[in-house]
Amino acid sequence: MRMRTRAAYGFLAPYLLIFTTFWVWPIVFSFYLSFLATRTQPWRFNPAATWGRLVIDPAFLNALKNTLVILVIQVPVMIALATVLAVLLNSQLLRARGIMRFAFFAPVVVGEAAYAAVFRLMFNADFGIINKIITGLGLPPVAWFASPTAAMALIMMAVTWRWVGYNAIIILSGLQAIPQDVYEAATLDRVSKPRQFFFITLPLLRPIILFCVVLSIIGTMQLFAEPFLITNRGGPGQATETLGLFLYRQGFTVLNFGYASAVAYTIAALAILISLANLWLGRSAK
Amino acid sequence: MAGVSLKNVVKRFGTMEVVHGASLDVEDGELIVFVGPSGCGKSTLLRMIAGLEDISGGEIAIGGMAVNDVEPADRGIAMVFQTYALYPHMTVERNLSFGLRMNGNDKADTARRVAKAAQILRIEELLDRRPRQLSGGQRQRVAIGRAIVREPQVFLFDEPLSNLDAELRVQMRVEIARLHAELGVTMIYVTHDQVEAMTLADRIVVLRAGRIEQIGKPLDLYDDPANQFVAGFVGSPKMNFMAAEVASLEDGCVTVALVNHGGARLTVPVENGFAVGDRITVGLRPEHFRRQGEGDCDLSVKVDMAEHLGSTSYIYANTASSEQLVIEREESRGEIGMERLTVSIPAAKAYLFDASGARLR
Repeated sequence: MRMRTRAAYGFLAPYLLIFTTFWVWPIVFSFYLSFLATRTQPWRFNPAATWGRLVIDPAFLNALKNTLVILVIQVPVMIALATVLAVLLNSQLLRARGIMRFAFFAPVVVGEAAYAAVFRLMFNADFGIINKIITGLGLPPVAWFASPTAAMALIMMAVTWRWVGYNAIIILSGLQAIPQDVYEAATLDRVSKPRQFFFITLPLLRPIILFCVVLSIIGTMQLFAEPFLITNRGGPGQATETLGLFLYRQGFTVLNFGYASAVAYTIAALAILISLANLWLGRSAK
Repeated sequence: MAGVSLKNVVKRFGTMEVVHGASLDVEDGELIVFVGPSGCGKSTLLRMIAGLEDISGGEIAIGGMAVNDVEPADRGIAMVFQTYALYPHMTVERNLSFGLRMNGNDKADTARRVAKAAQILRIEELLDRRPRQLSGGQRQRVAIGRAIVREPQVFLFDEPLSNLDAELRVQMRVEIARLHAELGVTMIYVTHDQVEAMTLADRIVVLRAGRIEQIGKPLDLYDDPANQFVAGFVGSPKMNFMAAEVASLEDGCVTVALVNHGGARLTVPVENGFAVGDRITVGLRPEHFRRQGEGDCDLSVKVDMAEHLGSTSYIYANTASSEQLVIEREESRGEIGMERLTVSIPAAKAYLFDASGARLR
């Protein structure tokens, strides 16, 4: 090995060591673990207790169902809202655009525990401002933390609030890359503003919207903080338990590392599969 | 087809006025070129005609009808943009037909118009391609095609060739001239390239700082510029300007001293408008310099550089006071490598301008 190459590897060695120890090794070892029954001593090879259990475990299937429900409802709504928000933030009519853009982006930098505490207060069934507004409108109060449907809606609203601005800023960058004269050409072609949005803006934003969708899918598949902190560990019952939370409980509450590893690989595989399906469906015609 | 009329057209951005009362009549079927340096307001004027910019004052009429408050799409115009402004996600065919389809135009008529435009511009084989699969020249043809399918009364071109390389620009220039002859429709063309203006235009409108400096046929502007700006802008290489002072006046002639050429005297027949001591500028086109002794005033200049193009040469020279001159020579092989050169000014070809740039002769 040449001296210069050796020196380069020498400088890289500390990073490679840490990367191998804390990234590569856990990934490889957890794959091995996913085939072991870890609730017995000593651990023994028993894929039926891990991979086999996945397909029959009602708790896992419940977490999977909850995650997919959030994925199917929340992600499209959030991306649609983010697109509308991006168009508004891009408007020449908007005053103080810089401040507005920061304001919508800000939730991402707020600590999860802090925003969860604020949401718990706002949605408190007895004295929360949301129920005050709802009853003020003459509607019955909503049991946000006691009703499974309402708790699920609360999780979706919280996740949407936190990430819509982030996605809007990404989509805004795509909007700003569309040349203004394309719209002027469409105006001369007597194409109305709504039609310009649907026939020019949306198709040209497709790659960036797909990117946001894939990011959101990966995020939702790992969703943990909101059900853990806002709806009190996936409550009521397991109504808002997600795959991320289920994995946490198996790994760090029940200490069933083998099963938790199989769940982790399943989450990763599902995120990849759904993202690939999205990219395939959204591919542009050659 | 229709003519275009501008009456005292003004454009303001906030408190800043960028077009100061432009008036102009474009004849039906005429190809008129707006030319001027960057920031002179030529594109703004074109965009006002298109309806893409509001009109702050005055009136614009197309086909005899005032269009100040008419939507861009209803003005009977089509515009070709500098950056082509094609819809990147659509095929050429879709690009051409998009506007017609969006407006519910009859399918058969849309197909006919697209086919006709494709045939005129020879882009039939490109119809299934997307803009990114086309060269710059092909994209420009598609942009022109999109204008043609609208069957407009007036075509507007906003620096359509400035993104093309030199060879393609010449080719597309010929194409646009052919298109104008073929369609016989009114065209307003914006460029900063005076060669493009000279070769394409029926008439040229020279603009500077939001004002129309002169309107005229290309050679009229070249031979008879209204002021020093037009004289300098029209023609390539540009007209030489030499600082001078009026030395004497007699018998309908003025004798001027060229201050940067050791006070060399040039006597020019001219009627009036001078006083002894007036600071003026003498203009002479590069091709009008004569050989030593063949004109009315000999100048000895230092040669900086010479471009020998075969049939013609351009000699870049200056005086001791660093006044730059460009001299065109039809035959200069004998002068290659010369460090000094004596040339002569024929008085009959000299232009005189006063200190404000107004032409005196």
